[in-house]
Amino acid sequence: MAEEAVISKFPNPFPRPKTNRGWISWVMTVDHKRIGTMYGITAFVFFLVGGIEALIMRLQLARADSDLVSPEVFNQLFTMHGTTMIFLVVMPIGAAFFNWMIPLMIGARDVAFPRLNAFSYWLFLSGGLFINLSFAFNAAPNAGWFGYANLTEVPYSLGDNTTFWLIGLQLLGVASLAAAFNFIITIINLRAPGMSFMKMPVFIWMSLIVQILLVLAFPVITVALIELQFDRLYGTNFFNPVAGGEPVFWQHMFWLFGHPEVYILILPAMGIVSEVLPTFSRKPLYGYPFVVMAGASIAFMGFFVWSHHMFTVGLGPAANAAFALSTMAIAIPTGVKIFNWIGTVWGGQVRLQTPMLFSLAFVALFIVGGLSGIAHASPPTDAQQQDTYFIVAHFHYVLFGGSMFGLFAGVYYWWPKFTGKRLGETLGKWHFWLMFIGMNITFFPMHWVGLDGMPRRIFTYPADSGWETINSWSTIGAFIIALSILLFIVNYFRTWRREPTYEADPWDGRTLEWSIPSPVPVYNFKEIPTVEYLDDWWAQKYPESVNAEPRERSPGQPAPAGAEDMLPLNGQDVSSYGASSYGDDEDHGIHLPDKSYYPLIAAVGFAFFGGSLMSAWWLTLIAGFIMMFGIMGWIFEPVNDPPPEEENPGGHPEGYSAEAGH
Amino acid sequence: MWTFLGSECMFFGSLIATFLVYRNQSTTGPFPDEIIDVPITTVSTFVLLMSSLAMVLALNAVQRNQANLGRFWILMTALLGTIFLGFQAFEFNEFFNEGLTPRVNLFGTTFFVLTGFHGAHVTVGVIWLLVMAGVITPKGLSAWTLLGAVLGAYAILVGILGLLDVIRNLSDVGAVIFIAAGAVVMVAAGLKHFSIPTKLNVASQAGNLEVTALYWHFVDIVWIVIFTVVYLVSANDSIETSEAIISGLHGGG
Amino acid sequence: MQILRSSSALKRFALLLTLLAPAILAACAPGGDQSTFDSAGPIAKDQENIFIFIFWLAVVVFVVVEAALIYSIFRFRQTRPDAEMPTQTHGNFKLEIAWTIAPVFVLVAIAVPTVTLIFDHEKGPVDGRVPENPLEINAVAHQWWFEFEYPGQDVITANELHIPIDRAVRVSLDSDDVIHSFWVPKLAGKVDMIPGDDNVMFIQADRVGTFIGQCAEFCGEAHANMRFRVVSHEPDDYEDWLDSMRRAPAPIVDNPLAEAGRTLFAQNCSTCHSTRTYEPLRAQGEREVQLGRQTLFRKAVKRDEEGIKTREGDLVTLISAPNLTHLAARQTFAAGIIELTEENLKKWIRDPDDIKQGNRMKDLAPIYNDPALWLSDEEVDQLAAYLMTLKPGPEEAVETAGTVEVDPIAQGREVFLNNGCSACHSTGADRVVGPGLSGLADKSSTDMIRESITDPGAVVTDGFPDGVMPGNFGSVISDNDLNALIQYLETLK
Repeated sequence: MAEEAVISKFPNPFPRPKTNRGWISWVMTVDHKRIGTMYGITAFVFFLVGGIEALIMRLQLARADSDLVSPEVFNQLFTMHGTTMIFLVVMPIGAAFFNWMIPLMIGARDVAFPRLNAFSYWLFLSGGLFINLSFAFNAAPNAGWFGYANLTEVPYSLGDNTTFWLIGLQLLGVASLAAAFNFIITIINLRAPGMSFMKMPVFIWMSLIVQILLVLAFPVITVALIELQFDRLYGTNFFNPVAGGEPVFWQHMFWLFGHPEVYILILPAMGIVSEVLPTFSRKPLYGYPFVVMAGASIAFMGFFVWSHHMFTVGLGPAANAAFALSTMAIAIPTGVKIFNWIGTVWGGQVRLQTPMLFSLAFVALFIVGGLSGIAHASPPTDAQQQDTYFIVAHFHYVLFGGSMFGLFAGVYYWWPKFTGKRLGETLGKWHFWLMFIGMNITFFPMHWVGLDGMPRRIFTYPADSGWETINSWSTIGAFIIALSILLFIVNYFRTWRREPTYEADPWDGRTLEWSIPSPVPVYNFKEIPTVEYLDDWWAQKYPESVNAEPRERSPGQPAPAGAEDMLPLNGQDVSSYGASSYGDDEDHGIHLPDKSYYPLIAAVGFAFFGGSLMSAWWLTLIAGFIMMFGIMGWIFEPVNDPPPEEENPGGHPEGYSAEAGH
Repeated sequence: MWTFLGSECMFFGSLIATFLVYRNQSTTGPFPDEIIDVPITTVSTFVLLMSSLAMVLALNAVQRNQANLGRFWILMTALLGTIFLGFQAFEFNEFFNEGLTPRVNLFGTTFFVLTGFHGAHVTVGVIWLLVMAGVITPKGLSAWTLLGAVLGAYAILVGILGLLDVIRNLSDVGAVIFIAAGAVVMVAAGLKHFSIPTKLNVASQAGNLEVTALYWHFVDIVWIVIFTVVYLVSANDSIETSEAIISGLHGGG
Repeated sequence: MQILRSSSALKRFALLLTLLAPAILAACAPGGDQSTFDSAGPIAKDQENIFIFIFWLAVVVFVVVEAALIYSIFRFRQTRPDAEMPTQTHGNFKLEIAWTIAPVFVLVAIAVPTVTLIFDHEKGPVDGRVPENPLEINAVAHQWWFEFEYPGQDVITANELHIPIDRAVRVSLDSDDVIHSFWVPKLAGKVDMIPGDDNVMFIQADRVGTFIGQCAEFCGEAHANMRFRVVSHEPDDYEDWLDSMRRAPAPIVDNPLAEAGRTLFAQNCSTCHSTRTYEPLRAQGEREVQLGRQTLFRKAVKRDEEGIKTREGDLVTLISAPNLTHLAARQTFAAGIIELTEENLKKWIRDPDDIKQGNRMKDLAPIYNDPALWLSDEEVDQLAAYLMTLKPGPEEAVETAGTVEVDPIAQGREVFLNNGCSACHSTGADRVVGPGLSGLADKSSTDMIRESITDPGAVVTDGFPDGVMPGNFGSVISDNDLNALIQYLETLK
């Protein structure tokens, strides 16, 4: 920072708190680990909410002609289930891992813009609460998670249901975009010395690809949401067929975002699996460059297949044929990944611990989802399957059997790194097997009932349709899944009570995060490591196995057990939330970004601003002030006080750069 | 910043795509040929292009550590941007008077939303430029100055929205009061701040200003695309072309 | 070891379920009325065949890949914790290329028939040949029912489509409100019905039967209960059916219940429900009338000061509603969800929400929303009895309404009832939807009355919205009837 300080003293009404304890330290944290933990916990709570919504739906559908819930409630349930699971569960659990693992795996001390990171989280939380707030007004979104116009236009959707959905999604979109800029810049700029792109762990590659997808796909949906919102609130004509607008245009915009979104949901899980399989097979990932390129080409091709969601819209034979072919083409890189995962396991030393089980199940179930996907990549069969339970079965195999299994693999895999202790193995296995069995009982029969002609999104069906038996099975399966999640929660609490073991490298891992103590010290790496090989930590541990030059272990390695700087200062206080509760910054002499209230204020102001658009104008005015106050405070608050004395290896930003992402 | 601009490309790409998809699909008038005034917009486009030139000069000056010159060109860029916004406000007002509103037909809907969002981006750019102009003063940017400027701008915005009846409950008198008060606060803040010319080491701010400049040039380029698509390509769209397109759509299945 | 203890119990459980699963699934093999298998037409047959082809390909791929996965898991399990470290292979370029290319062959095998079928089905239902004499149908979706028009035949039905077998049927798909989807699994895959877009699809049945259709695109509250039937006939039977649809119902004789129901219907139901499209002119004007109703429904949305949207005003009572012409000749009603019997009709009229939640009738019709108009049990019986008379009369029957009567005043009253005037206009002074008509003769000349009927937009009474009254009375009411109607109106005091 230049001598003539560009920032003058701002009468700061919210001086930075110095404490590292208590709720206040969480509210104003900018530590990527704490933010990651908050993402994870929040998303898990939303996961329970979305799961309960699913269970109510399954109860309703267990019997024909059931009247457990009204159609209106059912419509709200499936809309919120979809919206919640996609935007408030899978994406933020992914974000939790990005937050936690990106800096650890690339050997950085934090993300590029720590305060922007906090802003993303708070905006995500506000957006999620805002959408769910609609339940309190009995106006939960009720038009499906893709909110097809013109059902979502005013004459056919009078209440505030859809408006809640529109504004909530825009808030979540801004949160995701801010996070995406942050992660891209982190991955590009903050990698440890020597870590070239082709030495990055696959999870980092997949993260990078996901962020690029986010950056390119979310603006499209934002525009669509803005247009629909203008139609609803200000009477414009974007999707009004009477004035010449085309409801189908909404579908194009939505799926131009929506299909990349599918890869946004699955690629993080693929990245996790690509880390877990090598670790538990004690072999490197088979065909690393092919896996990376497959991920990149899936993402790239993901932008050219959107109309396969619209084969029944009547786009004409040429368009349908073209999109059918491009959709089939995307199966090729997907297949490459699966073969390489099997190739990784082949010839290894397979240890079937819980993370490995989840990863193997991911591969097994994803094959099913992929193959059923091929079935409706062909428009003639899709004409029968579109909007039936066959589709529901397909995308639950991909998103539940795929994404959720992959994410759970990550939870079990990195839990020791988060907390210093493994999640219970016995309960973990019960969790896995129940979830695996329950998942198949729930979703496999849905293929059948879909082929039997049951459309999705119906709250009831007649007794003579012959769908009842299969639906009852799905309901039983859903409760088995619920039981497995319950076991996970039990496991969580039992593990919480256990003493940490502080194993730095419990699984004999391959990547940099295992080179530092568990739980991770607040500064991550005492000294930024130098990378020479792919799977550098493995090459440090077993140089002979990969023909690597033996070298001094990187300075970040775990010290011998009992060494002073490995144990937390106050052993009992290790928070089982996953974040480390190490002593004050001064103790380690490494400079870290200071905490701040302003991201929270800006985010809440932003959410309030969005929400107030539905309401009186003076509320918008107040919300605008809060938001601007937050942003101004953010600008004027120095990144660190006092300013850093030495050069910061993390290259932390100045106020303006962080502002750019807003 | 580049990732941000990539994202913005998709954003404006989508809006422009909307405009093109809905081109000639209005079922009622006014149609573009009755309303669009290419010469006036050419002038405003020229103004915006000149602002990009000013931006280049500003960055150049700051990089060569010429504080006063740099500040002058930054303010000039902001001024040109404001003039462009003035043109746009004038144009919107004209169109309203001639009966084109976002509600009346698809052309109105797409036109106002596309150019409106661009205008909003220019506004953000102007504010950003003013902030940067403030930053390269001796004491740096005083928070109170910025607070005054932002509050003033905010009040003016509220007033304008009130006048345009976007905020329905605000009477015209109230709106004018908002605008006047905002203007007074802004001018006061500006006078207080920019009154002290001095020699100053500002080259350290060149990096930040470069980001600003990137944004400003981007907004400019987007305008060139919009100008081409909306004003040059679509200006002669009329009731006849619309009817031809609509019947073609439905005849051809 | 902990791991071993847990996994043995788990393994047994998992094994049991794995063995049970195929048995369970086999018991549920698809085969219901809405199944996409056991197809009843060439298009559905093609779609079924290509699916089965893809299915078996997928099964082969599935078995091979999962077997490789499972084999590698068990074959390479770590048996001892101190097992030797496996070779750190990083990949094999040739192998990678091989399994990148292998799937291409499978995909090409699928792509070729796929693309062929896409283009074939665009031309016609059988072997990609353009059919010689397809039956044209206009299908229009509404929230939440289907309207079927036989263009050129002057026949309109709702929720029940009759077609001849072995003849291509070219269905033009449209929607008056939101996006719906036309899907009869036994005959063809779905195609969306989109407002403002003209989608076309072919269906063809190769056997006589009744096939269930259902809306497949989520379209709002009653989406689940939006069904219809396709009834296929031998060609001769189909022609008979078509003829019958153009015959008037037999006059109501010795049925005071139905007679009273007719009056009730005219006053309370006929604004939205057409019952007389067996008359060619009305059949031709019906689309316009339905569109008019939908436009009014859309316009009824008002924003108040706070921008909150409500439906308000008298317009609320207008919404496009199923055409009830020859209702009693149908198998089902309420968008194909309930068998048509008099008892079911009574149940329906008493509380439509009990059968189909979210329906617009319960939502909007004054008889459910204005306590003064609530129907008594007796009135429900009368309406049901009347509705049961709505079926084609015997062949020799001639149009009776308005011709048996010679007294022009009485004839005019018939016209007044038959055309649904009484649904909107009271014969007293009170306002219903339109203005009350008492004392009309004192206010208006005969010519003005005539103009108001034939061109309602010419002069609109203060305080009433324009565009509510259908504009086609001038064409559907004969001159003779119109004169009688005016004479009747002039008697109202």
